[in-house]
Amino acid sequence: MNSNKKVYVGMSGGVDSSLSAALLIEQGYDVAGVYMKNWTQDLPGVKCPWADDLADAKRVAVNLGIDFKVFDFEKEYKQKVVDYMIDEYKNGRTPNPDIMCNQEVKFRLFLDAALADGADMIATGHYAQVEGNRLLRAVDDNKDQTYFLYRVTGQAMSKTLFPVGGFTKPVVRQMAAERGLSTAAKKDSQGICFVGQIGIREFLSIYVDQKPGPIVDKNSQKVLGYHDGAIFYTLGQRHGLELGGGLPYYVVGKDMAKNEVYVTTDLNDETLWRKKISLASIHWINQAPSIGRYQIRVRHRAPLVWANLSYVDNNVELELDSPERAIAPGQSVVIYDGQECLGGGIIV
Amino acid sequence: MTHNQLIYLDHAAATPLDPRVLSAMQPYFSDQFYNPSSPYAPAVAVRRAYEQARHDLATAIGGKPGEIIITAGATESINMAFNGASGHVVTDNIEHHAVLNSAKVRDHTIVSADIRGFVPVLAVKLAIRNDTQLVSIALANNELGTVQPIRDIAQVIKDERQSRLMRGDKTPIYLHCDASQGVGQLDVNVARLGIDMLTINSGKIYGPKQVGLLWTASHVLLTPLIVGGGQERGLRSGTENVAGVIGFAKALQLVTTHRKYEAERLADLRDGLQAILVAAFPEAVVSGHQKHRLAGHLHIAFPGLDGERLVFLLEAKGVLVSTGSACAANKGTRSHVLTAIGLSDEVADGSIRITLGHLSDVANIDLAGQIVIDTVTQEYARLKR
Repeated sequence: MNSNKKVYVGMSGGVDSSLSAALLIEQGYDVAGVYMKNWTQDLPGVKCPWADDLADAKRVAVNLGIDFKVFDFEKEYKQKVVDYMIDEYKNGRTPNPDIMCNQEVKFRLFLDAALADGADMIATGHYAQVEGNRLLRAVDDNKDQTYFLYRVTGQAMSKTLFPVGGFTKPVVRQMAAERGLSTAAKKDSQGICFVGQIGIREFLSIYVDQKPGPIVDKNSQKVLGYHDGAIFYTLGQRHGLELGGGLPYYVVGKDMAKNEVYVTTDLNDETLWRKKISLASIHWINQAPSIGRYQIRVRHRAPLVWANLSYVDNNVELELDSPERAIAPGQSVVIYDGQECLGGGIIV
Repeated sequence: MTHNQLIYLDHAAATPLDPRVLSAMQPYFSDQFYNPSSPYAPAVAVRRAYEQARHDLATAIGGKPGEIIITAGATESINMAFNGASGHVVTDNIEHHAVLNSAKVRDHTIVSADIRGFVPVLAVKLAIRNDTQLVSIALANNELGTVQPIRDIAQVIKDERQSRLMRGDKTPIYLHCDASQGVGQLDVNVARLGIDMLTINSGKIYGPKQVGLLWTASHVLLTPLIVGGGQERGLRSGTENVAGVIGFAKALQLVTTHRKYEAERLADLRDGLQAILVAAFPEAVVSGHQKHRLAGHLHIAFPGLDGERLVFLLEAKGVLVSTGSACAANKGTRSHVLTAIGLSDEVADGSIRITLGHLSDVANIDLAGQIVIDTVTQEYARLKR
């Protein structure tokens, strides 16, 4: 019954999208695999890091007997995702490039390009579920990726399939192995893809000048040491302060203009914990929800917590039942009604 | 799939260690572990074995032991050969990236190979300037198998050297030949080739990987890339890779001894395979020089198909081939060699490289031929759907 429907599966070379393609074929769809070539940092003389992923994706597609295409989004990805991320950091915020990638590239550019190329729908290996134009959480709570998907549109969802969203990760690996997919045992990718092996700090230091400044104890106002740029620090961050010895220090604030980073050893510091959150850049997948109680998630894989939602001008105000730790400006809060991901906004 | 069920047709990328090479190496991993620079008798015995290996390497190429520098493979040998040149360098556009990238960081001229992958001697001659210090041309191309006219190019270099001598110009000029491909199938006697420097890679001749040599004629002056304890005449410091070099020497000795027989055997197998593939697909395009070509090489294109898809489909059926060079296959981009010789995109993209070697025999080449025919037929059918 699905045989007249053409689905383009975004294949990254990982096990989730590999199995997605295999399952769609079994469900009778007319399937083609697409590798999205995103932007990567080119370092002189270094083998490009995405080549192995492309080869893995292609090997699976070829062995499944389906067409395989490469869509080149390098330019758009650089503008919409990478430049955005660097700008946000420069402004003292901690953005989430994966969310931008889903909003701008996978569920906009890829969807449009696939439809223009003759597809009826797209599919990806995300752990999430779709019902009509609604985005639902994955069956596997541990892997649920709706946090990264909250800025997609209901219209995009109505043309999207998430074939592995109904399974847990171990089952996905097992099903991939049963089907002899060459990626069945491949390690999951970690971190931000385009940053690659070097880490976010080294990545950013290519684009922004290192500017030394003081690390100040918030309570005593004593200078404890020096950092090489306030932009590299995120609220709640523990690592990388290199202050040595004693209790661990946490970042509780920064002054971008003065290039100062404030820290404390007090885990109960009030700035680390917030009960009220104001969100801007609000995005709803379908209609805006009415005032009321919803569950929210303040970072990927964080437990869902209850909050009262109200509107103030264009912003959303959330009053949490109990305070949450490390609410960093620039990061996203995602709002759920039961299983459904409604949307969310960016912490101001 | 086990090793035995696979039909390995990518000998230009890597070769399996010859069992005789492994036995020659084995003592030097365990009992004979001594540092060849140490003074006591067991270490001196290791030193002797190491120097014997160097002697055997030199004999196999018609050079002297004192002219051999042991390196960690062809890439290092090539870098070292270029490191000696402070002036202009000349090479061609279908060289390995180790050569191209070494040339590109210097004042360079890159001459174009023809559509067969053949480097015209005249083009090299015209590219040489008064300040040219190094000309580097491979013995044979790794993708197409085309064998270059090294002796003729060597004559050009000799003439240039003579004319510099006549006018009192002391600028040296050397010819370096990267013989990473073809050592097991071609004569690599340095005197007969008439070259000044030669690179050989152990990993392509059934020896261990990460071992190679750079031979330099006695008049060549080099500077080290790696400094330290002064091993290899101060040109390549570091404790000697004793087991590796002993394996390398054994491997070179074996391929040199059996060269003539093996080259004929492989050429027969390759010609048979080429004939059945071209008969099955008249539209197929065989690239590389049809006369001056490595015996085990078959570069064949099926226009309209995607060579990389063929590689994966053949892999699933137990036949291992490559698209162009191994590096290009991994980059998802068109091979610089195929672009350089002017193949159309359709031919370049539809091509695979089949390279025969020790693991090839009549039975598995017949079987592989049938599998390639089935797979190509299946892909052409898929496109028509």
